[in-house]
Amino acid sequence: MFMTKISRRTFIGGSAAMSALLTSPELVKALTSQPYSRVKVANIKNLRVGEPVSFNYPDKDSPALLIKLGERAYGGVGPDGDIVAYSSLCTHMGCPVVYSKKRFLCPCHYSMFDPAKNGQTYQGHASEWLPQIILRLEPRTGDIYAEGVEGLIWGRVRNVLKVTKK
Amino acid sequence: MALFARKDRIPIPPKDAQKFITVCQYCTVGCGYYVYRWPVGKEGGLKPEENALGIDFTKQGVALQTQSITETMHNVVKGEDGKLYNILIVPAKDSPVNRGNYSIRGGTNAQAAYSPTKPTRDRLLYPMVRVGDQFMPVSWDEAIDLIARVVKGVKDKWGPDSIAMKVYDHGGSGAGFEENWAVGKFFFVAVGTRMLSIHNRPAYNSEVWGQRERGVHELNYTYEDARLADTIVLWGSNPFETASVFYTEQMLPNLQGATVEEKKKEYMKGEPAEPARMIIIDPRKTSSVTVAQSVAPDRILHLRPNLGTDYVLANATARAVWEKGWWDKEFVEKRTDLKTFEDYKKKSLMLDVPYDEFMSRVERLTSVKREDIEKAAEWIAKPKAGGFRRRTLIIYEKGVIWGYKNYDTIAAIAQLAALTGNYGKPGTGCGRQGGHQECYFRPHDKSRAKLVGSIYAGGPPPNIDEYVKNDPRAKVYFVSGTDPYLSTPNSQAYKKRVHERTLALTRYLSEQAKLAGEPAGSEDRAKRILEGLEKTSGLLMVVIDMYETETARDAHVILPAAGWGEKPTTSINCNSRLLRIYEQFMAPPGDAKPDWWIFGRIATRMKELYEAEGNYEEAKYCAGMDWKSAEEVFLDGANEFPDNRVSEEDEAMLPAECYKGVTYEYLRKVGQKGIQTPVRIDPKTGQLVGTKRRYVHKFGTPDGKFKWYGTDPWDPDPMKFYPPQITKYFQDGNDKKFPFWFTNGRSQIIWQTGYNDRHLPEKVYTIPLPYIEMNPEDAKRLGIKSGDLVEVYNLEGNAIALVYVNDAPPPGMIYGTMYHWKGSLNHLTTDYTDPKTTIPWYKASRVAVRKLKGNLEDVLKNTSLLPINDFTT
Repeated sequence: MFMTKISRRTFIGGSAAMSALLTSPELVKALTSQPYSRVKVANIKNLRVGEPVSFNYPDKDSPALLIKLGERAYGGVGPDGDIVAYSSLCTHMGCPVVYSKKRFLCPCHYSMFDPAKNGQTYQGHASEWLPQIILRLEPRTGDIYAEGVEGLIWGRVRNVLKVTKK
Repeated sequence: MALFARKDRIPIPPKDAQKFITVCQYCTVGCGYYVYRWPVGKEGGLKPEENALGIDFTKQGVALQTQSITETMHNVVKGEDGKLYNILIVPAKDSPVNRGNYSIRGGTNAQAAYSPTKPTRDRLLYPMVRVGDQFMPVSWDEAIDLIARVVKGVKDKWGPDSIAMKVYDHGGSGAGFEENWAVGKFFFVAVGTRMLSIHNRPAYNSEVWGQRERGVHELNYTYEDARLADTIVLWGSNPFETASVFYTEQMLPNLQGATVEEKKKEYMKGEPAEPARMIIIDPRKTSSVTVAQSVAPDRILHLRPNLGTDYVLANATARAVWEKGWWDKEFVEKRTDLKTFEDYKKKSLMLDVPYDEFMSRVERLTSVKREDIEKAAEWIAKPKAGGFRRRTLIIYEKGVIWGYKNYDTIAAIAQLAALTGNYGKPGTGCGRQGGHQECYFRPHDKSRAKLVGSIYAGGPPPNIDEYVKNDPRAKVYFVSGTDPYLSTPNSQAYKKRVHERTLALTRYLSEQAKLAGEPAGSEDRAKRILEGLEKTSGLLMVVIDMYETETARDAHVILPAAGWGEKPTTSINCNSRLLRIYEQFMAPPGDAKPDWWIFGRIATRMKELYEAEGNYEEAKYCAGMDWKSAEEVFLDGANEFPDNRVSEEDEAMLPAECYKGVTYEYLRKVGQKGIQTPVRIDPKTGQLVGTKRRYVHKFGTPDGKFKWYGTDPWDPDPMKFYPPQITKYFQDGNDKKFPFWFTNGRSQIIWQTGYNDRHLPEKVYTIPLPYIEMNPEDAKRLGIKSGDLVEVYNLEGNAIALVYVNDAPPPGMIYGTMYHWKGSLNHLTTDYTDPKTTIPWYKASRVAVRKLKGNLEDVLKNTSLLPINDFTT
């Protein structure tokens, strides 16, 4: 089970070990419980400020949005730290959120989430913040990879529905 | 790495998980919930036949259809048997109130449950007694004996009015009929004091005598009326934020036209059925306004009166209805008292004043344009095509309840509904939105002190805030289920005085301890306290609560109360008086106890003490409170309701909460469907029958007729209209010193004082501080941005707040969250109360704003500062 995988990393504590891990794909496994795959979702050259990019992650039934906000964002990647991605299913009742005016808005019951602040519900019904997708930028190619999800995707009790053996 | 630990999987309840029925612990709406409970270490499977929910978890859920389950809906708690359990608390899809919908507050019902390894471990566990500046844990026997001896001693020496209290009167938040009944029996009968006050205000009163004394209880409509109304009026109510699911689940579908088929079924033959219009009366452009505008911009009317002028605006709307001939003549003649109607026409409608002159006075005072008032009148009352009357539901709340001239304002709104025939029919009604749920029932008939109503019914009741602050005759002060250091009006002055008075007693006790040592045991301690109360102007404070509140820091005795889910309880919601059971699914933390048990034990100990000295007369009043179970209290209260074996017509004479005949077993059987109070026992069948909609046949007066009331005269000159507490801000240069109006209210994100929320990471990051909203025009002029810190101050007090710049408040007005665990903006409210009811005017004062140098980096980095009332894309 996943628990044994985590336990290999539970020694994390020292800042040296931490910063080494921050650049390592292994870290994602240490901080999330599910066996996420690593998927290329965009290339930095194609991103424009304020224009969201749709993709699915961790599987085809889980829509997500990547956005270059134009301002430093919590968990943002890229030279300006402004590229973030979130599950785009409202955590309230699962409607797809839309991106506009630097925030995600749900048209069903009007929850609003701030992508610069870890997806926090700053207005509306959603008790839980929008799950943020962990991104990694490959500086050499400009490719951006999704590597995990922090927070429960709406409509699931575990983020990864089917574990595909590699 | 998220700002706090998130989960990406949660345990699945196995097929044999226990299932409990409950209702949300937070707001007035009372959404239905289910609690699934199963032992830690066990888990159900992903396939529908492998889990208690019957959901196929191998597939992605479908929006708006699949049961919502979030991270915040799971926790691990201790059961009554001492074993650890997983709990999953999910919104009930079969509840008529919420239909699977839930709010940002209710979604955290599980997360907020007590857990020794989670932030909610901060709960009170044991009774505590103050010794100097420390609290010392003691046993219940010791604490109860101490309180009983002090209460008895004070009562015997100085009379029952030396004992004062400020206690909840609502449902939800862990309280129910059981707690309310026990509180009433203890203070009305065992103690017999009249120095009573209710959790959120300085006196013991209804907030809506202006409506009740017309023969109408404020909870008269049913939630379906929000789906059936032609026009919904929200008067001083912001339900998107404060009754969230009622707004999105019942009102919005009507605005969107999704309930037209339901209307056709209820309406008369040939009557037009269209999507609703909405009128919102609020000085702020609240999110309830802007959400509605984004749905149906052409069918929303937003009136923004000057603060405190609502009763004039309500009367002006009624006058416009009168002038246009849109009033319901048939209803007025058949259902209302025509004798008092003359008074209404003269004083409220001011028919002696020519219409043009009247309207120009109204415009001057309220700043609402005549054409908008007439449009409101049209939307409320102009008959539809075919001559059918418009069905208008008027929902009001704290914006007017806590406004200027509480009695006249509520009467004016209740009468607008009567003039337009909007009671007792599908799609109509006029009543409160509500803050909490309700379950007020107490033995008024057996009260040993004279309880009074408004100035028209023996009142007004005494102001207990002033009593405990300033009157040395107040010796003992009980505070339960409320945190007045944050929440009472003018709270800075209040807490300074209560602190001084409680400290005077503490100092005396410490001085005596230097001479004679600490008292040995509760009997000695009680003697020492009684001495202290005689020799000083001190006040003994007893706080009963779930947490060590801000107020508790000055208490002498703190008692730990059991909360929601830690005891069975019952309540009704406000939008349909729906009575349901809230089952117990976990153990209270430590030795926390339900309030009914605590008050019952104090009374029972007082009884023993009176018996021991042969005072059987007094002992008698303390008897009958030795309850063993919550249901025993519930049934004890039921006995005191009047005979409810009455016809459907006579429901009007029953108390709104009447549940006589209902048992826990019955409530478990009806489940989420509940039963709407007042409950009757059908004289023919003997069956329990609920009341869907009130006053269908007659009103709650001896002759069944609605009683009119002529409101006070008013002057269009603000200097002559407002009371001295406000006009002082326009005199002696104060108009320049305090250039802003100040009003206050709640945020959708947090519940009341945030007693639970202050422990939840989502809430702490999102609302880290008390805040104000400032219009962009004012912000630009003062060089203030969102995220800045300011000091807001006036002649009453001061407070520090975080700034959000948005266009909700109009220029020249500051809006603030009423209180927060990091500070109370009620420091800024004046001490005005309505002389007719003693209800405070929380919603207006004048303030100045000073920008603090520097910022809090953590707040700027982690808190969203985006405008909360902009829903446009």
